[in-house]
Amino acid sequence: MSDKRYTINRISDRTMHILFFICACTSIFAVAVICIFIFAKGLPAIGEIGIFEFLGGTEWRPGQEKFGILPMIVGSIYVTAGAIIIGVPIGLLCAVFMSKFCPKWLYKIIKPLIELMAGIPSIVYGFFGIVVIVPQLRSLFGGSGKGTLAASILLGIMILPTLVSVIESSLNAVPESYYEGALALGATHERSVFFTVLPAAKSGILAGVILGIGRAIGETMAVVMVAGNSPVIPESLTSNVRTLTANIVLEMNYATDLHEDALIATAAVLFIFILLINVSFSLFRKRKG
Amino acid sequence: MKLKKLTALFMVAVMGMTMITGCGSSDEGITKDTEITVISREEGSGTRDAFVELFEITDADGNDITVATAEQNSSTSVVITTVKDNPAAIGYISLGSLNDDIKAVKVDGVEATAENVKNGTYKVSRPFNVAYKEDSLSQVAADFMKYVLSTQGQAVVTAEGYIAIDVTDDYVSSNLSGTVKISGSTSVAPVMKVLAEEYEGLNPNVDVQVSEGGSSAGMTNAIEGVSDIGMASRAVKDSEIAKGLTSAQIAIDGIAVIVNENNELGETLTSEQIKGIYKGEITKWSLED
Repeated sequence: MSDKRYTINRISDRTMHILFFICACTSIFAVAVICIFIFAKGLPAIGEIGIFEFLGGTEWRPGQEKFGILPMIVGSIYVTAGAIIIGVPIGLLCAVFMSKFCPKWLYKIIKPLIELMAGIPSIVYGFFGIVVIVPQLRSLFGGSGKGTLAASILLGIMILPTLVSVIESSLNAVPESYYEGALALGATHERSVFFTVLPAAKSGILAGVILGIGRAIGETMAVVMVAGNSPVIPESLTSNVRTLTANIVLEMNYATDLHEDALIATAAVLFIFILLINVSFSLFRKRKG
Repeated sequence: MKLKKLTALFMVAVMGMTMITGCGSSDEGITKDTEITVISREEGSGTRDAFVELFEITDADGNDITVATAEQNSSTSVVITTVKDNPAAIGYISLGSLNDDIKAVKVDGVEATAENVKNGTYKVSRPFNVAYKEDSLSQVAADFMKYVLSTQGQAVVTAEGYIAIDVTDDYVSSNLSGTVKISGSTSVAPVMKVLAEEYEGLNPNVDVQVSEGGSSAGMTNAIEGVSDIGMASRAVKDSEIAKGLTSAQIAIDGIAVIVNENNELGETLTSEQIKGIYKGEITKWSLED
């Protein structure tokens, strides 16, 4: 009897094993297919356009077969950098507050609200940007209000949930003894938090920032609505900017032939960016371990 | 606990409302020194192609030379929202999409109305086309085409604010059943959806599905047989005809140049001025080079 049950258990064990394995394979398969598709269609296009003309060209005029994506690469970097400059200080201090200073009753309000922030669809953020941020910037700085600054502010807000949750958990992971040790040496609460706990959580904080960068560089719909989307390298904070993602989503509907392939090649470039970001993220994670 | 969460949510909502109402009254009017915010559509858009061609915003070889710093938006509705919010903006949209939120510019003194397009005084117009494979067109799709090109179908076109083409045949329902799949231009889709509804009213057993994806995507779908009929807001290209498509014009659409309601300097513009603005030669509302 017990022998039979043992065999049944073993069989169900193995089937579940195989099932889990298939599930794991599916996601790997999906990633592989996406990779193959993007590079198989993108690389020949880059070859046809010429790698230097494609990556270094400053003119994007598909109608005249000019496919230079340098303005979009620079645009993506500017907007992401702006988002980090705006988002990181706020996110970091917010996480410190939540982890070390927040009274319990307030924590129970803030935490779900931040989680709610992560769940808001990006198109809703885009509308928020176009009706709130853009008009304010227009009345402050003149011009159209759309541009690098508007996109950076919006993205700075959008990456907050990612930043706050990663940084907060890395702060919580710092052994309590660090904090208590600092207190015992006579440091105040603030001093202990900022000079012992925070440095100890450094790699976790960096990991959070890198994840934030990944989120910012990949964001599309919200950015398209507030960036203005001119394919030129922005001259100032208030001039229009087009990111790599915006370039793809703006023109995909109407693109044909080489134009379409050039957009897929843009996706390949974006893909490499994201890959680099993820690799550096896991490097930081490893160092932490 | 619940109560506190609710209070917090309520406070956030109030804050948001204050911000939105706060910026409603931020900007009114422009002066001659105000810089023009030039708003364009993305490369490949049917509306943009037609606009550029009609106003000759091209170089000697016929290439689109819309000023690179112009803001680019991927849909009519974003162009309308942007112009509605920004008193210094100028944009262009399909005449049928015109509403009270913005003001249509009198081009060379002629008001942008369907009548003026029809009698030829308002020159900025383009054809709405459909294309299909003549030999493999299903019976029900052919019947739908017959409806579109009948007096009843063209009455719908007129009622929607577009310009009908001259037809003489009346449509009589032959009570077919089946499905008609239509895809393509986002500019043609609104009127096509109304036509589809009216047709379904006459033929209760027919399901007409209209999806938007851009003129080029519509043509590709028709060639590949994904859709029965493709819609294009531009002329059907020779390369597409070579792949077996037959095209038919179903309506004429004017293109309205639009400015903000509070913009008095841009009420009437000559086509030379509009050309100068979109080429980047005129940058201020004084309208001097």
